[in-house]
Amino acid sequence: MALKALDIYKLLPKKNCKECGDPTCLTFAMKLAQGKVEPDLCPYLDEEAKNILGASTRPPIQKVTVGMGTLSFTVGEEFVFYRHEKTFYHQPGIMYSVSDTESDDRIREVVSQVRGCRLTRIGIDLVLNGLAVYAESRSPERFAAAITVVTQDNPDLPLVLMASDPAVMEAGLAICGNYLPLIRGVNDQNCEAFCTLAKKYGAPLVVSGNDPEQLAANASRCTGLGITQLMLDLSGTEGEFIRASTLVRQAALARSVPGLGYPVFLDVRSSGFSGLITGITKFASVIVTRPLTRTEMQAALVMRQNIYTDPQKPIQMTPGLYRVGSPGRDDPVFLTVNFSLTYFTLQGYLESTRRSCWLLIVDTEGMSVLTAVAAGKLSESVVKDAIEKSGLASEVNHKTIIIPGYASPLSGRIEEYTGWKVIVGPRDAAEIASFIEEELK
Amino acid sequence: MTISYSPGWTASIREVVIGATAAEGGTRRISYRIGGESDLPCIGSGRKPLIAFEICDDPALWPDVIRSACTKLVDNPPAWAAYVDTTLQADLIRLNLTSTRRRNFDAYDAVSKTVIAVLQATSLPLIIEGSADADIDSEVFQRCGEAGEKEKLVLGTAEAARYRSVAAAAIAYGHSVIAQSPIDVNLAKQLNILLREAGVPDDRILIDPYTGALGYGFEYTYSTMERIRFAALKGDGDLAMPMICAPSDTLTIKEVRAAVHSHETAVSWEVATAVAAALAGATILVVRHPGSLAPLRTAIDSLWKEEVA
Ligand code: B12
Ligand code: SF4
Repeated sequence: MALKALDIYKLLPKKNCKECGDPTCLTFAMKLAQGKVEPDLCPYLDEEAKNILGASTRPPIQKVTVGMGTLSFTVGEEFVFYRHEKTFYHQPGIMYSVSDTESDDRIREVVSQVRGCRLTRIGIDLVLNGLAVYAESRSPERFAAAITVVTQDNPDLPLVLMASDPAVMEAGLAICGNYLPLIRGVNDQNCEAFCTLAKKYGAPLVVSGNDPEQLAANASRCTGLGITQLMLDLSGTEGEFIRASTLVRQAALARSVPGLGYPVFLDVRSSGFSGLITGITKFASVIVTRPLTRTEMQAALVMRQNIYTDPQKPIQMTPGLYRVGSPGRDDPVFLTVNFSLTYFTLQGYLESTRRSCWLLIVDTEGMSVLTAVAAGKLSESVVKDAIEKSGLASEVNHKTIIIPGYASPLSGRIEEYTGWKVIVGPRDAAEIASFIEEELK
Repeated sequence: MTISYSPGWTASIREVVIGATAAEGGTRRISYRIGGESDLPCIGSGRKPLIAFEICDDPALWPDVIRSACTKLVDNPPAWAAYVDTTLQADLIRLNLTSTRRRNFDAYDAVSKTVIAVLQATSLPLIIEGSADADIDSEVFQRCGEAGEKEKLVLGTAEAARYRSVAAAAIAYGHSVIAQSPIDVNLAKQLNILLREAGVPDDRILIDPYTGALGYGFEYTYSTMERIRFAALKGDGDLAMPMICAPSDTLTIKEVRAAVHSHETAVSWEVATAVAAALAGATILVVRHPGSLAPLRTAIDSLWKEEVA
């Protein structure tokens, strides 16, 4: 279990010499407790303290980075079993698979599916993370050639290399090893050779095992050979995966089995879309899937966004006056709440009407319209406050605001309290175009 | 060293029986005993979730994508039910009496007739969604309850503000009740207590945690379902009811309505939501698109398959 700041402080030299970069040993201890710094920053730790701190400040699940540069992604460093205990931090990388026996054109097509996929929701880009190349040919030349097809135009696309023959793997690494691809293919026979490769290129390695005991033993064997960027392969049917990943997550968080404190790798090429959803919800960190249909891809990316959104902190907009298009002094003012989902949904519909307008976002602590009305967070005083703070009166020549249909119970009170005329808009933002046409001439 | 998973749970989910066969006094060909799990979904020896397919008696309120997927059926609830039973092979049918949502509704005889006709058209156990308006609830639920007497229906939906009529019908005719609260553990618990006080036995209540659609609140639903399941496994008897979850709610969102490939989209979103809901602890998964059934069935069979030792 993680140590508290005060316990850590007791182990520190208490010199307050600032060499760790912190003003005092106590502030350093506080950061250690939160896992924000490494114990090595203090040059005066004795061996015993190093051992204790090394083991207890390290996150229960090792942080692992796949790829280099702007497209690289980091997984691991998770602290909870259930999302609501705190949150999940690092969403899984989703990688489309290709076999090196496929044609170069097909490989290029999958690469462009990965790169071309961009879904923007709530102002956030949801993307696929990379490509997994599988050495089905078992030929070093073909594997290298297939990888070259990918890297020619996209050297920075994160990759998973999948091959069990060290010679084949090495041929692939010779092409892209400097970009830190994830290596998968270790078994009992080739472990040493793969560790040598991983070390040479500094690339993260996926280890496997038939059961959790063997998996932990294999992982420890790799760490013994100096590899720390490891992932655990829990590929299997959906059911097998759930059972294994539950067990591994629990052991990792309890720090009871050192060899299991690593992020989880999952290959769902045979279980498909439901395997992917299962992996997203239950602890996978890198998921390799066959290319999905567009609709499956979108549903999966939204699921990943949902599961990795902190339920205690809705994604919020800063309240204030926003412009859609370039509104003038006579253009209409729409009122909405500062829940990002609401804002972006509404904004999308407003933009498609091509009518410039003002958008007054009031502070409902990130609650949607209906939720805010039900919880009393959208009220006449909140609206008045927003009108005053935003300086709305000095931007427009009229005194009319249009409120969401679901806020209609408040219309009278808002009029009385603010002195602004209120028009009740439609409930569903999808109807805003026809509303503008009919009601605003 | 063997590494084993030790959850430390002390209690299990209560069992609820849905449907009654001839031997049990009804006319269904099968009845289900749901619940009974003493661990997380898929772990241990818990039962597979059931798939309920939802139909309605007035398609005007139904999503376009479903009306076009079930064209010849939407105006004929019995035929629709028979199709769901024999062709789609769902485990359960949920009949949503959307006709009662019309203004000034008073066609109570039609409600009785529809329920009876659907019971005759299928021998699967039935869930019936009655009205959503306190003024007509009493009569509607009374009719549903009576029409399905001895069939051990599931009646919905009870909410904190209106639960008495549905509870009364369930008690009078031996049915179970769906208790829905807006994505909140404590509210779910409170409603179960209210229902118990109204006389509904604990083993005749299902929790509907309220399904926020994927992308529109599902993250809250997911957590709330997990929390309800944990509370139950840790011994909170007021939350130890099986859960019913409606991924079909996802069909009303912008992405699905606006989709070019609307059928594919509907299926992907419904299945994704259903799989995640099952993993969060749902015992009954409600879907509406015919295309969702097969992939969801495959996923559940694979998730709950006993491990070969
Ligand atoms: C997710 C959710 C939650 C989340 C919060 C999410 C959030 N950040 O707001 C949680 C779980 C925390 C929650 C809590 C509660 N919730 Co809630 N929740 C929902 C749910 C499922 C989805 C809400 C959502 O995200 N909608 C999507 C956004 C985009 O919708 P929106 O903001 O309304 O915007 C749309 C329109 O209003 C319109 N629009 C927006 N702005 C504007 C502006 C103009 C000018 C126009 C014309 C249109 C327009 O366009 C948008 C798209 O169409 C709804 C049910 C549902 N399906 O709506 C229940 C729901 C809103 N909740 C409800 C309730 C009762 C509550 C609670 C009060 C329960 C309680 N007692 O604890 C609490 C209140 C919060 C609190 N006290 O802490 C009820 C409200 C009942 C009612 N009719 O009043 C609902 C309807 C569920 C239900 N049927 O019971 N909730
Ligand atoms: S370097 Fe070590 S001794 Fe010096 S202030 Fe930091 S923690 Fe204390």
